[in-house]
Amino acid sequence: MAYSTAAGDRLPELVFGIGAAGGAIAAVALVGRWHSLLPWGLAGVGAGYAVYLSLRPGTVDPRSPLIAAVLFVAAELGFWSLERRSARAKRAVLVRRLVLLVVGALAAALVGSILLVAASGTGGGMALEAVGVAAAVVTLTVVVLLVVRTDPERR
Amino acid sequence: MTRNATPKLGAYAGLAALGLLAALATGLPELVAVAAPFALAAAIGLVQVRRPQLNAVVTLERERVLEGEEICVAVDLDVGVGAERVELLLELPPGLTTAAGENPRLLHLADQERRELSYRVDCARWGAYGVGRLYLRAHDTFGLFNHEAVLDQRQALKVYPKEEAVRSLLRPFETQVFSGNHVARQKGEGIEFADLRPFVPGDRVRHVNWRASARRGELWVNEHHPERNADVIVFLDSFAEARRGGRSTLDPALRAAASLVSRYLRQKDRVGFVSFGGLLNWLLPSTGMRQLYRIVDAMLDTQIVLSYAWKEIDVIPQRTLPPHALVIAVTPLLDDRSANALLNLRGRGFDLVVIEIAPLSYLQPPRGELQELADRLWRLRREAVRGRFERAGVAVALWGDASSLAAALEEVSAYRRHARLARA
Repeated sequence: MAYSTAAGDRLPELVFGIGAAGGAIAAVALVGRWHSLLPWGLAGVGAGYAVYLSLRPGTVDPRSPLIAAVLFVAAELGFWSLERRSARAKRAVLVRRLVLLVVGALAAALVGSILLVAASGTGGGMALEAVGVAAAVVTLTVVVLLVVRTDPERR
Repeated sequence: MTRNATPKLGAYAGLAALGLLAALATGLPELVAVAAPFALAAAIGLVQVRRPQLNAVVTLERERVLEGEEICVAVDLDVGVGAERVELLLELPPGLTTAAGENPRLLHLADQERRELSYRVDCARWGAYGVGRLYLRAHDTFGLFNHEAVLDQRQALKVYPKEEAVRSLLRPFETQVFSGNHVARQKGEGIEFADLRPFVPGDRVRHVNWRASARRGELWVNEHHPERNADVIVFLDSFAEARRGGRSTLDPALRAAASLVSRYLRQKDRVGFVSFGGLLNWLLPSTGMRQLYRIVDAMLDTQIVLSYAWKEIDVIPQRTLPPHALVIAVTPLLDDRSANALLNLRGRGFDLVVIEIAPLSYLQPPRGELQELADRLWRLRREAVRGRFERAGVAVALWGDASSLAAALEEVSAYRRHARLARA
């Protein structure tokens, strides 16, 4: 909904309305503990962002990786709160989960950045290209590690 | 282990598909960036999911405990393939509760790890239990799948009823032929003085009563009552119970029965057991510590089973009820079948005593005129049943919350002494 204010005079109410509807649906899903409703709430918020993008001039929004990360974290936290809790989590388990969440958010931002750079075809200079290469290497390493971990011969 | 997909998997796949379709439709590359994390999370989650491999060994600190004691239950987990989060629940049957240690627990289990968990279990109620069934639910890193399994490592745990304090036991009218602690009515070798009689050849010199002999001018000898054992049958009425909350009339009944069995066996009597109810159970009279464990183990299986079948005392094998046995019935007198069976026993000449477990404290107080009238009628009916026992010469003692088992037994003893005097 923050980007509704950035829509300038281009129908901010529309952007706000769609985003708010999505947020309300997500809130109802969390309160009522309805797993199937939460994705619709998140889709509503994403739809608000899509409407905002469509109202902008033709440049690529550089904040979209950040939006992707925030939306991903919101989804993770939403599903976390909807989980059945039969036992209280120990501190170590909680810390691991939070660390994984932060890593997931960073990965979401990185992946978004790579895709955006690839899609827009813009050159960002040496620094940005270095970040992109590093992100690609990290992503590849993670995928290789996961494949090795799930190798049936190692199980 | 059974694998289940969580709603999150479908949600992430759906959001990714929606985002990518919207990007195609609108031509906005930013939507690809927004949808990509969800697509990647779903894809990586699908690729890296592993079926956890866990083995558990459950060990009980002891196999036999007394009611109210605590025991330690140790769970040794041997992890082959671990999981990010594992919920572990040790199933405790009703009657057992967790005294210390969380149950269920949420753990992170790494591959090739060994973990020892400890639970302190409060054995609040008597019974025979199987402890050691573990319920597992393992979640993967991304929370897209969970694996569930049940590990059945149950071990037998016997919680014996607490003994009630008993000051003195009931003396049976008749004794048996073996040596014991009861003074028999017959005369023979013993310690208790019985009578004097003239000396006859063969009598032992140490039995001569010199004072009486001096007074009468001829030899007189003492006669004694021998100490003999007796046959005691503990009769537990399991047709019906009064229950309120977690309390039941079966609990004090079982404690009383266990206390009586233990005390009579300790004084070398032969003790048998009959559980007369929906489920019939009996044990032939015998002596010794082994008989104590047999009877208490049989008691642990006692439960109230609803049955409309009319049962007479004939269903019990004759050898279970030896003649001249003292039958101590522990009953709440809620079912006519048990009352009739006991009166039938009395009619066959058995020495019968009834300890009535007062059910009043287990019942809801009556509300309204109709309930009060029904309550009064019910109490009158119980008085009538007690009257039938008393007319048959059976001592009935009421044992409620306000009194102890020792007081109830003392009441019965006093009644029997009075009854014996009247007969003599």
